Amino acid sequence: MNTILTVALNTFKETIRNKVLYNILLVAAAALLLSLSFGDLSLFSRAQVMTDFGLATMSLTGLLMAIFIGVGLLGVEIATKTVYGVVGRPVSRDAFIVGKFCGLCATLLLNFILIAAVFFVAIRFLGVTVKAPVVYAVLLLAVEMALIVATSIFFSTFTTPTLAAIFTVGFYIAGHLNDLMNIGAEQQRNPVWRFILVSLNRLLPNLEHFNIRTRVVYDLAVPDLFVAQAAAYGILYTVLLLLLAMVVFSRKDL
Amino acid sequence: MHAIEVANVTKIFRKGFRAVRIPAVVDLSFTVRKGAITGFVGPNGAGKTTTIKMIEGLVHPTKGMLRINGEDAAFPRARGGVAFLSEQPYFYAHLTVSEMLRFTAELIRVPSSQIPKETQRVLETVELSRKTGTKIKELSKGMQQRLNMAQALLGSPHTLVLDEPMSGMDPPGRRLFRDLMELLRQEGRTLFFSSHVLDDIEAICDDVVVLQQGKLTYAGGVRELLDEGFTGTDVVTGEITQECREALGGAGCRFRHDEKRGEWTLFVPKTGDVAALQRILSEKGAFPRRVIPRSMTLEELLYQRKTESVT
Repeated sequence: MNTILTVALNTFKETIRNKVLYNILLVAAAALLLSLSFGDLSLFSRAQVMTDFGLATMSLTGLLMAIFIGVGLLGVEIATKTVYGVVGRPVSRDAFIVGKFCGLCATLLLNFILIAAVFFVAIRFLGVTVKAPVVYAVLLLAVEMALIVATSIFFSTFTTPTLAAIFTVGFYIAGHLNDLMNIGAEQQRNPVWRFILVSLNRLLPNLEHFNIRTRVVYDLAVPDLFVAQAAAYGILYTVLLLLLAMVVFSRKDL
Repeated sequence: MHAIEVANVTKIFRKGFRAVRIPAVVDLSFTVRKGAITGFVGPNGAGKTTTIKMIEGLVHPTKGMLRINGEDAAFPRARGGVAFLSEQPYFYAHLTVSEMLRFTAELIRVPSSQIPKETQRVLETVELSRKTGTKIKELSKGMQQRLNMAQALLGSPHTLVLDEPMSGMDPPGRRLFRDLMELLRQEGRTLFFSSHVLDDIEAICDDVVVLQQGKLTYAGGVRELLDEGFTGTDVVTGEITQECREALGGAGCRFRHDEKRGEWTLFVPKTGDVAALQRILSEKGAFPRRVIPRSMTLEELLYQRKTESVT
């Protein structure tokens, strides 16, 4: 447990000192503040536009951070061999993977809190009370990002940092198009294509479960049970991907 | 029990799309004695780094078994009390010298109350105590190598495995390192290190393991290996008479005359009797000026072994 904490703390320190992170944060804060003026250009209320734009910004910046930092950290660590200094000690490779994941999630969480703070202040500025569904939306986004971090770690264990980044983006896009894949499979007459689409649909997580933006924007009900189920689904997938990453990494020659 | 035991280890890498088999180490077996300094020698590509990485648990053997202090090297706990030092230092550039050492100390479970004292101790040993707050990326290559050594000394490990530890070091750094090795030997620690500098191996090591194209060609004492290279003795004397030369020739000696110096060098092969030669000389009224044992250096011996294995 101590080893995991040591690796996690070092990872957190490393990511916190990464300049790319501050650039992403700055862009996110600027975009959120700019969105205050977008409401005047829209048919909808400023609060709706702000909420929609804010959540989209958080999703996009979270994705960028998860990919840049996730792939950069493990992939580059393997490529630059700094990993030798950890797994060459009495440290299990599993502890290294879990420590990396925890450190990355801590950084992401801190950034999410910062962006969310700007977001909540901005919507308060428009006179809108922060209701539970908005908080749920942010929470589910955080779960989704943890899943993306686990994905980037998984891909980093067996491929180059560039390919891992491409695969993670592909995974994210495919995950959000999961429902479409199901529809496509039903309409597909070619059995090979149908098999591929069905397999992808079953294999990939449905990332739309974490997207409750539309419901929040239109003030629709978001049942607590749905949020709990979606969060459990995300955590389960994250654990599964981390376990896979551990299996691959334990067999890898460094 | 040996400090390190490598038993019938084979490592085959698979490269490329077609997974071409590249044997790096073939049926390798040797042991490292506890408390001894063992050199690991071989040309580039002989499989030294692969073997060290297998001991370190970074690379998995295709066949065979590696043990550290009797424990399977595949398990992390086997690496407790063992420090590894790679040829090139690999550090987290964002950390300062003291942060890096603290991180390593935590990984090897040095009690947190002892970490500041322990960090200070190893930094003083490698003469880097003034650089505690410096970022690693700002250190020169030689200093990074010293920091690498400091890291390896953390927690006073009983066994140190070092891959080309002196590469990139300036002469004072090399001297410091050799002194350190001597100190570690006196403290009874086990050292296993690879090097291309055979003078270092000859000067420092008790034992040597020699690899050639992934196969073992020698494992044993450095002294024993050097004894193999002992060819005979040169006895240098002043001018000697024809009668004396005939008597010595009968005793199996070979002669070389240096007219300029007025000296004769008498070579007694290793099977010959140097004492008998000295007796003949004194009977004929000549006296030896110098007695020089003639041996092949470690480098010459290894080159000879290499040529033999090729032919």
